[in-house]
Amino acid sequence: MRVGEIVESNSTGFVCESYELNRPPALGSLVKVHVGEARDLYGVVCYGETGSLDPGRRAVRRSTDEVYDHQVYRESPQLEHVLRTEFTSVAVGIVERGIVVQGLPSLPPPLHFSVHTCSSEETILFTENLYYFRLLLRASGPVAVEQLLAANVREVYIERGSDEEWLREAAREAASLLKHDYDRLMAVLYAIQPVR
Amino acid sequence: MPLRLGSIGDGVERMVEILAAEERSQWVERAQRLLHDADPGDLKAKLRDRRTRVPWLVAIPVSSMDDVFGAPDCPSYFSVVAADGSSVPPDRHSPARFYVLNTGRAILTYGERPSAVLDASAQFHFQMEDLYLYPSAGSFPIEGARLSAKMAVAELRGLREATERTETPVAALRDGSLILWGLQNEDSRVQQRFLREFLECLDDFQNAGVPVVGYTSLPGARDVVNSLRVWLCQAEAIDCANCSSPEAMDSCKALVTILDRQLFGFLKAGERSDIFESTSAILSEYGDHRIQFFYLNVDGEVVRIEAPQWVMHDSQMVDFVHSVLCDQCRRSGVHPPYPPALQEAHEQAVISITDRRLVEDMVDRALARRGIVFTRSAKDRSKRRRAV
Repeated sequence: MRVGEIVESNSTGFVCESYELNRPPALGSLVKVHVGEARDLYGVVCYGETGSLDPGRRAVRRSTDEVYDHQVYRESPQLEHVLRTEFTSVAVGIVERGIVVQGLPSLPPPLHFSVHTCSSEETILFTENLYYFRLLLRASGPVAVEQLLAANVREVYIERGSDEEWLREAAREAASLLKHDYDRLMAVLYAIQPVR
Repeated sequence: MPLRLGSIGDGVERMVEILAAEERSQWVERAQRLLHDADPGDLKAKLRDRRTRVPWLVAIPVSSMDDVFGAPDCPSYFSVVAADGSSVPPDRHSPARFYVLNTGRAILTYGERPSAVLDASAQFHFQMEDLYLYPSAGSFPIEGARLSAKMAVAELRGLREATERTETPVAALRDGSLILWGLQNEDSRVQQRFLREFLECLDDFQNAGVPVVGYTSLPGARDVVNSLRVWLCQAEAIDCANCSSPEAMDSCKALVTILDRQLFGFLKAGERSDIFESTSAILSEYGDHRIQFFYLNVDGEVVRIEAPQWVMHDSQMVDFVHSVLCDQCRRSGVHPPYPPALQEAHEQAVISITDRRLVEDMVDRALARRGIVFTRSAKDRSKRRRAV
């Protein structure tokens, strides 16, 4: 499903404007950009925000005792046109003709190209190997990298049909990568623990 | 060189002292009593009497002087359409003569199926017939007041087109006045040309039964106050230089410092004044579309609402416009409130400095591709480079 259009692009990631206001893809979820014949660039959503389309205009409070939440948008239909939701993705690899290569792409994705969510099959294929965790742990942005990693593990776990075996493997990989950083490791392990 | 602020500071202090003077607020109260006491019938007769020869712009009361009308209930399903304009005027320092008009529009629909359409249309004018009112003679270039009039026509056309896209009861808003007072000092041929186009648009609104209004925030008009000065004056023909009543003269001078929006400061939130008719000279050319106005407290400021007389004569249209404007201001995200439809139309219309430069660059590049390399005026280049 198309969820946005790239409005900023560089070697490590891309920023997209979401087609739907207030509904960026989930933090940590996998997205892809069709960059060539049977060639998709994959990214992990590492940040999302909603604000004014015009940097010179700030959103202001519009709710009252009677009008709030969704009703605000019904009362002010222009908001759908003057606000925008953006999300940032960190590039984590390329899938070409079914072959997964985890790592940074040789070229940034083209500006204004569409960004799609990944299907369960595509997520399963890409996450068979967990090398891309290293890229997530080096991502820069407002979201702490251990929270980004944890969000990705949660999203993939669900997308893989609550794959317990994969979750254990992901936890072991995280432990290996964060073995010298106890606090961060515990933050990841705590956050990826399935809620029963 | 930076502005020498030291010489301005004292003046600012003295100005604020005068503005904050207690007697000034007392004068507003006295003016409000005068508004209450003035007989609209007698005042109307005096204002229409040719012998009075009023030297100021006055307003003629249509009915009462100080009646107040509360906001009627707003319909549950309606649209508000607004238009605003912006231009890149002809630049005499530029190598080529052209101008750009950008009309921004907002169509906001409320009710069961709320929706919004925001758009803008830019027009690039460069042909001789666009640049001059009489191209063969190269006379009356489109600039200044003439460009403003052309912009006003473009806005009104854009507004009319937008109302045709709505299926609900609709009110059409334009930012500012509907009185093309800027044309008053123009040649009669210029006036006729722009007025014909402007009034044709108003004809379309009238035929479609769509109320069209001009919304002026923080109005600086004093038409009604000036009418009170006429009411105060005992002389048959107004002749301030030879005023025989010192008491009336003092009151008259004090009234000069008051604006209509202060006079109608007694309006409560949502209330409007009664309707007055403007006497701007240009309105003698408006025919059935003579402009009338009322003041409205939108809960934060008193604004001036102008509309053609066929709107103001129709109580249902007046109630609709009154309720819709109050509703618009209730939905405003800023204080004092401003109609969201007008705000969004403005945002669509505005041409940024960057966009202005882009247009200039497009023209320069297009000329260069044809091997035509014009240079800007030396003055313009010196301003841009600002070499030391």
